[in-house]
Amino acid sequence: MTSPLVRALRVARRYGEVEALAPTDVELHSGETVALVGPNGAGKSTLLAILAGAIEPSEGTVETNARVGWVPQRPAHYSRLSARENLELFAQLEGVRDARAAAAELLERFALPPAPRPSGELSVGNRQRLNVAIALLGEPRVLLLDEPTAALDPGQRRRVWEVADALRAGGGAVCFATQNLEEIEHANRTIVLQDGQVASLTVEEVFR
Amino acid sequence: MLLRSPLLLGALIAYPIVIALLVGLVAGYASSKPRVAFVDDDHLPNVIAVGGHRFHIQTVIDDVANQVTLVRLTDAEAARELADGKVVATITVPPGFLGDLETTAVSPHMILRTGTGGLAPRVTQQVQALVYQLNRKLQGGYIAANLAFVHLLLHGGHGKFLGKQFDVLGLDRTAQELTALPPTKRVAAIEHFVQQAKVGLAQTGGALRATANPITLEQAKSHGRTWVLSAQVQAYGIAVTVTFLALLLAAGATAAERDEGTIGRLRRGLLSLGELVWAKVALAGVVGLVLGAAIALVFGIVVEAGGITGGEPWGRLPLLLAGVLLSAAVVGACGALLGALSREARTASLLAVLLVLPVVFLGLVPRGAVPIAYWVSLFLPFAHAVRFFGAALYDSDPWHTVGIEGLWLLGIGAASWALARVGARTLSA
Repeated sequence: MTSPLVRALRVARRYGEVEALAPTDVELHSGETVALVGPNGAGKSTLLAILAGAIEPSEGTVETNARVGWVPQRPAHYSRLSARENLELFAQLEGVRDARAAAAELLERFALPPAPRPSGELSVGNRQRLNVAIALLGEPRVLLLDEPTAALDPGQRRRVWEVADALRAGGGAVCFATQNLEEIEHANRTIVLQDGQVASLTVEEVFR
Repeated sequence: MLLRSPLLLGALIAYPIVIALLVGLVAGYASSKPRVAFVDDDHLPNVIAVGGHRFHIQTVIDDVANQVTLVRLTDAEAARELADGKVVATITVPPGFLGDLETTAVSPHMILRTGTGGLAPRVTQQVQALVYQLNRKLQGGYIAANLAFVHLLLHGGHGKFLGKQFDVLGLDRTAQELTALPPTKRVAAIEHFVQQAKVGLAQTGGALRATANPITLEQAKSHGRTWVLSAQVQAYGIAVTVTFLALLLAAGATAAERDEGTIGRLRRGLLSLGELVWAKVALAGVVGLVLGAAIALVFGIVVEAGGITGGEPWGRLPLLLAGVLLSAAVVGACGALLGALSREARTASLLAVLLVLPVVFLGLVPRGAVPIAYWVSLFLPFAHAVRFFGAALYDSDPWHTVGIEGLWLLGIGAASWALARVGARTLSA
């Protein structure tokens, strides 16, 4: 078996006395889509942020063997910069050789407004699409999506899944958090989280 | 809601009190005349005569007491008000003062008592200045009295000293008596001495005045800068502007990255914690530099346009701007720390605004007024920035001050940067 693109060993996160995520093992392999399912506060966002390297685990290690793109639950971009400026800035930080071209390509692909309008003034849907577009800078092989379709209309949701499916088909891996049971059909593996721990329950049992 | 946050409640109560105290200290120190009790245990008359000069006591005191407000009190009242802090010092004229003064042969004493507050050194200086001014007024009488004795020695007559009356032959009449004596070598020698003594004593008036004032200070009119354009005002103006904006900008920018969630993206290996803080330091430094340069430019243009001499508005600009860049960067590091500790951009901005006032006022409180305020201000960048700018602008040899203040700023900046770096670790949590 090939080595996983991302491997997390006994990763945990505590905030003072509160344990947001108990020690958890996760592996993401090439060609798979993993769904993280669980109610609010189950630890899905924390686990994805740890896998993305956005927060440090209180314990455990994360081993990454591929470039990782991360779509946080709340759109994360500079609200005073336009969509294009945000894409160009993060492209430069990601080390993309032609940042302008990469930004232009993603603007068109996600139908984002090219006008120099602050991204903070964009609609919720546009901001979420910008959020996804930023994650795709640098052509990651692993995509971590935290409830990526929550603010999107059906057409936009379909476009996001097309992107995710294409990435998986190309040998990448996708891991997404969701509370929408219909979205689980996009996954070929499901991890159920409850109270910060991997639970040996079915999805139906968790949401019962 | 406030009751659930005792820290916030305490800060809201304490903040205006601290600001009021600091404003009171600075304003009070800068503008008020301290109240000093004047205790007259010798029951001075309204008018006294010293060496034939007559002095109206209250007029003399009003003339010389321009740095303090003298309040006539009894011994007991003065002691009580000194203990209560209503007066900052007492000056006592002890019994026998007038008698000693009128002899012009003994220096009478006045007794000064000061409180133990931070103003004591300043009050002592002001009372010393008061006594100096009194001595200046009285020295005319003392010189006149001494010259009267010299006149008596020269020309003879009836005199009085320490209450005793006497007749003096005088050098003029001595010379006349000597001419009536047979001319001998001894008489000639005495006549020669009398002539020498008369010449010597004739110089006494000038010598006494020179002894009283070995050095006379004449104040020449100049066309130097008014206080509005002074180096101090310019230094404070730039320091306040830079402190306010750099702190607000760095704190707001740091906290905004948390608000907008971009800190999480950046922390994914795109930027290190140190680089995150450096970005805010650089931002504050560049903005501070532009603002400082603009203020210095305006001052320079006003000075040039007004044809005002004193100071070189352009020659020291590079040194000043180096100080502005350093100070703004250091304040930026403090701002980044503040932003890292705040939960959101609005809180960070509010905290920055609330903090600027005490930081500035602490830097304005003179060392003698409240020592603790001075010591606290040593560990904040404002006072060092002011001293750096002041020295850079117009000290003839600024390097010593610039070096020391630059080192202080670097130290404060390094500490703030390190703390902000630790604080930034919590931003993406």
